[in-house]
Amino acid sequence: MMEAATETSANRALDAVTVTGLTKVFKSGLTKRAFVAVRDLSLTVKAGEVYGLIGPNGSGKSTTMKVILGLLAPTAGETRIFGRDSREVTSRSEVGFLPENPYFYKHLTGLETLLFYGRLCGLSGARLKERAAEMLALTDLEDAAGRRVGGFSKGMLQRLGLAQALIHEPRLVVLDEPTAGVDPAGSRKIRDLILSFRERGLTVLVTSHLLEQMQEVCDRVGIMAHGVMVKEGRLEDLIAVQNQTELVLENVDEALLGRIRELVAASGDGARVVRTGSPRTTLERLFLESTDESGKGEK
Amino acid sequence: METELKKIGGGFSVSRVWTMAAATVTQLVRMRILVFLVVLSAIVVAAGFMFPVFSAEQQLKMLKYVSFGALQFFSLVLAIVATALLLPKDIEDRTLYTILSKPVPRVEYLLGKFFGVMLLIGGGLLLMDVLLCAVLHLRQSLVLAQELAFLKQGHATAEELAVEAARIEAQGVGWSLQIGVLAVFLKAGVVTALALMISCFASSTLFTVITTFCVCIIGQGQELIREFFFHRTFDAAGEKIASGLFAVLVPDLRLFDVIDQVVAGDEVAGGAALFMTGAGLLYMAGYLVVAHLLFVEKEL
Ligand SMILES: Nc1ncnc2c1ncn2[C@@H]1O[C@H](COP(=O)(O)OP(=O)(O)OP(=O)(O)O)[C@@H](O)[C@H]1O
Ligand SMILES: [Mg+2]
Repeated sequence: MMEAATETSANRALDAVTVTGLTKVFKSGLTKRAFVAVRDLSLTVKAGEVYGLIGPNGSGKSTTMKVILGLLAPTAGETRIFGRDSREVTSRSEVGFLPENPYFYKHLTGLETLLFYGRLCGLSGARLKERAAEMLALTDLEDAAGRRVGGFSKGMLQRLGLAQALIHEPRLVVLDEPTAGVDPAGSRKIRDLILSFRERGLTVLVTSHLLEQMQEVCDRVGIMAHGVMVKEGRLEDLIAVQNQTELVLENVDEALLGRIRELVAASGDGARVVRTGSPRTTLERLFLESTDESGKGEK
Repeated sequence: METELKKIGGGFSVSRVWTMAAATVTQLVRMRILVFLVVLSAIVVAAGFMFPVFSAEQQLKMLKYVSFGALQFFSLVLAIVATALLLPKDIEDRTLYTILSKPVPRVEYLLGKFFGVMLLIGGGLLLMDVLLCAVLHLRQSLVLAQELAFLKQGHATAEELAVEAARIEAQGVGWSLQIGVLAVFLKAGVVTALALMISCFASSTLFTVITTFCVCIIGQGQELIREFFFHRTFDAAGEKIASGLFAVLVPDLRLFDVIDQVVAGDEVAGGAALFMTGAGLLYMAGYLVVAHLLFVEKEL
């Protein structure tokens, strides 16, 4: 028992996910034309943190996740989960994965689906039933437990995918767009769930296009564009712009704004108004700026 | 401690293969495959009451002929179509992502699919076998009674009666019949493994079905091809190599021709049955190994 305990704590000190120099090239079609989906990507997700991977469509986020889970083989570089190479089956024993647009055997019911995935993770007997029931409650699918998956709505499938990913109490959860197709209330619930994971010391790697939510849950973010990591770091550091000050005003009219502009212009010292307008989410602004830059760089 | 070891050890798990196989059976059963089984069983029963114009021996032969046709049809259609459906569907639906992101080795996934289809075919064959035995037994005793009554009227000797009885009994329920069913099962197993292997590199269900079907036809006529084609093209050594290569690539389905013997009521030698079983298992193992090699490398 003692040995097991120290073993676990030693593992905990390891990074949850390490990606080093990952390149993924797809060869598709008869012509075998190569397409570089991910290029020399490196990132580390420390144990216990929530890491957000963001980027425009087709920037290689899902591809990166699939390589981490051993579903795709890297063209170059390597990925590890808790120190174990993703190509080893055992690296997946403590990961829960929710793929984008998950789908399941449509002839099974919601409950049967969870039992199936639980068994694949080595659960059995009363423990399995208990976990399945807990997961159904957690994802609000109790009413759908006896219904066939073929009749599930998109949001229900997404929630079933989440339940399936969590059934074996993994230490790392990899979520590819967990809120896609989920209604606002459900999406809020998923956000709270991720926050509760962080409290319990679980590690989360998540992608989403809902930047507001990402900003609320992530400790660190990486921004990808065209298969390359363009910015990475602690969220607070990333979104703070050191030489700028934000002044958020309410109920101002044009005249007052004009006077403020004059004041700034009169003060000299290089002070200037960078922009005026309704405030936007800062992560969103950052996202647009960094992915835009790299887009120009590519061309 | 034990669970910790299990987690680290990973390794092969029979229970995971079983979980996959059970899910496969459930999936296929809920696709209403059993309706197909019921229809074919009905044919077996109906065959028991057809062909009244033939002689006693012929009646029983026809019953077996039609029934084994139904058995083979059931098992081969399932082996080709159901198997061809499984893998591409999982890839298309992305069900494979969630399954393989669990600690499931790809070989267990493949074996689970294989055993799932085999379980279904085996179960179906067993049911039809029981039905066939019952119908055949009933029909045989009926025919025998009729025939003996007829012969007695013709003042046949006791010896003649015994000979006729033996002739009819040879067509009845016996071990040979079970060997015949085993042959159907093994043949289906070889075809299932073959279809699974083809679906590992095919990109669609249709391609798998057509290719497997063609390979089966070639496999049935293997001897012909060897004789007519290779014999003319190559010298003796070349012919041997070419035939050997051919037998590895395409399963020699003539192995399972004992089915014809069983229908004809001929005794099947134990050695021949053993050889057939061994060769069948070897083909299955070979195709599964290749399927695994293809699947392990597959990009999902
Ligand atoms: N199996 C594949 N074969 C060929 N190209 C692929 C394959 N999978 C992904 N790609 C390509 O790789 C690129 C990255 O795709 P990926 O799914 O990782 O993007 P993403 O960042 O997840 O986008 P989204 O936000 O839309 O989910 C895309 O241009 C896509 O077309
Ligand atoms: Mg994606």
